[in-house]
Amino acid sequence: MAKAEVELNGLRPAKIREILDSMRDNPDVLTAVTGPWKSRVVWQKGFKAKAYMRQHAVQMDEPEGLDAQDTAASAHEQLLSAMGSCLSVGFVLNATMRGVQIHDLEIALEGNFDNILKWAGHSKDGNPGYPTVKAKCYVRADADDKTLQAIWKAAVDGSPVVQTVARPTNIVTEFERVGA
Amino acid sequence: MEFATHTPETVQSGLLRKTDRSNGGGKLELVCGIFQAPMSKTKLFPVTVVGSWPRPAWLVQALRKRQNGEITQAEFNQIADDAVLASIKYQEDAGVDIVTDGEVRRDNFYSFVTEKLSGIKLMKLSELMDYVKDRAGFEEILRASDVPSFAIKSPIAIDKVTERGDAGISLDEFDFLKSHTTRQTKIPLPGPYLLTRSAWFEGLSDKAYPTREDLAKDVVQILRKEVLALKKRGCDFIQFDEPSLTQVVYGDEAEQTFMCAALGTHRDPSEELDFAVRLMNETVAGIDGVRFGVHICRGNWSRKEDVLLKGNYGPLLPSLMRMNIHQLVLEMATPRAGEIEVFKEFKNQKELGLGVANPRTDNIEDPQAIVQRVRRLLEFYDADKIFLNPDCGFGTFAERCVNTPEIAYKKLWSISRAAEILRKES
Repeated sequence: MAKAEVELNGLRPAKIREILDSMRDNPDVLTAVTGPWKSRVVWQKGFKAKAYMRQHAVQMDEPEGLDAQDTAASAHEQLLSAMGSCLSVGFVLNATMRGVQIHDLEIALEGNFDNILKWAGHSKDGNPGYPTVKAKCYVRADADDKTLQAIWKAAVDGSPVVQTVARPTNIVTEFERVGA
Repeated sequence: MEFATHTPETVQSGLLRKTDRSNGGGKLELVCGIFQAPMSKTKLFPVTVVGSWPRPAWLVQALRKRQNGEITQAEFNQIADDAVLASIKYQEDAGVDIVTDGEVRRDNFYSFVTEKLSGIKLMKLSELMDYVKDRAGFEEILRASDVPSFAIKSPIAIDKVTERGDAGISLDEFDFLKSHTTRQTKIPLPGPYLLTRSAWFEGLSDKAYPTREDLAKDVVQILRKEVLALKKRGCDFIQFDEPSLTQVVYGDEAEQTFMCAALGTHRDPSEELDFAVRLMNETVAGIDGVRFGVHICRGNWSRKEDVLLKGNYGPLLPSLMRMNIHQLVLEMATPRAGEIEVFKEFKNQKELGLGVANPRTDNIEDPQAIVQRVRRLLEFYDADKIFLNPDCGFGTFAERCVNTPEIAYKKLWSISRAAEILRKES
């Protein structure tokens, strides 16, 4: 009789372990997971744009205060969300691999622009982006504080999105005029 | 000075024993310690609690299992009985005259009704976010209060609200309490305004109740039935918790809020207060022989004073005086509650359950400092109108208790010592 797969946090720990090990042991898997990862952003109208990633699409817009329609979150808000989502994935992964049951998990992120006047064209100085992003994790789980803090640290240290934001990243830009 | 510490072990090892109700019941058997007589009705400065007691970790785990369906209600009650006995023992040892069961069977002071009533479902704010109209506003509230959305739960009416069985909302809690203490008893109940305001949620409740007023009629009837049953069973004091009235008065001025109140739709503050007064008076109409109190505080979900609401009771008092209840159970030990002189204008119109200990701090209030505070009230308030209590419960939310049993006990002990001093002076 086949052994029933044990689930924890909606994941199958044995299966996850198998995948993690294959990333280490199988170069093809590692290459596939490494990338390239792609997104294509298509301008629609006004400040609206749509991002296409594999078979998924995410709408982008800006607040009404910018004369936009506020039909979706703005890109920088979605960056915060991407960081939070990546931390969530990392937390659940690390908790599950340690056998920790999570009941609730929530991550609250926030940041203030350093100098948004640069974006507005009024200033050439400073950083128009977030110099600091705060991320607070709230969790209800069956483990002691020390274990949960170790899981959180592993999630932060291992987060591709957070570590991309946290480190100087080489952004290679290109430009091409199409048509007349 | 020696203070008591009660754990399931001390309870089960014989300090306290559960009454075997199958044999006709009996009173708390105190194997060691001093057995005190019930409080005289004429005793001045009665000491009481607002309701909740810190939950031990093993009880919170059991509560979670019950909520997840991993154990039955009966199995949970067996575990919770020990926590109730410990809570009673702490209160009695500390000299509390009117005791509660510590509300330890409850998830929190109002959401527990979802287990007692049908048609009402406990929902996390994280589940309600799709229905919240002002999500950005709620995000600000969550951040100001430093709480995650999954920690905020509200009972939401999703169908016609009716009682599940004969146990009412609190009758089983009361029966157990009554059979294990000889002190006077208090049962805290969610107030009719709080229940109505928090439970009616546009998009979820309007199929069963087109308007909030429609839901209020059923809420009042259910609470009236509960009150009559508690009175018949011999309950001495019924306290309606209406903390969301603070939100009515101060909510717009503060980022911080009572989630239970902010979730509900609301109108102009004066209309809301009139609505609250009407619901309370309809709930208690024509019922005597039991003391009714209303408890209002400014938040007890965090030990960070700056994330709780503030403001004196002045704007609320005219409405509270119109409620046909005996006592106002108020927080006054924190500077956030304003000055005691605010009661001068309404002196002796209601009994005051004066908050004289902050449930959210580690320091133990000095009995002499409590006495000094009461003396200020005695300059314009009669002694027989004053009860002493902490500002709020010690464990309003099962998973966010604001203190330990040991500190809660010491604070109550200080209040009792202050009451003794005051009685000697009177």
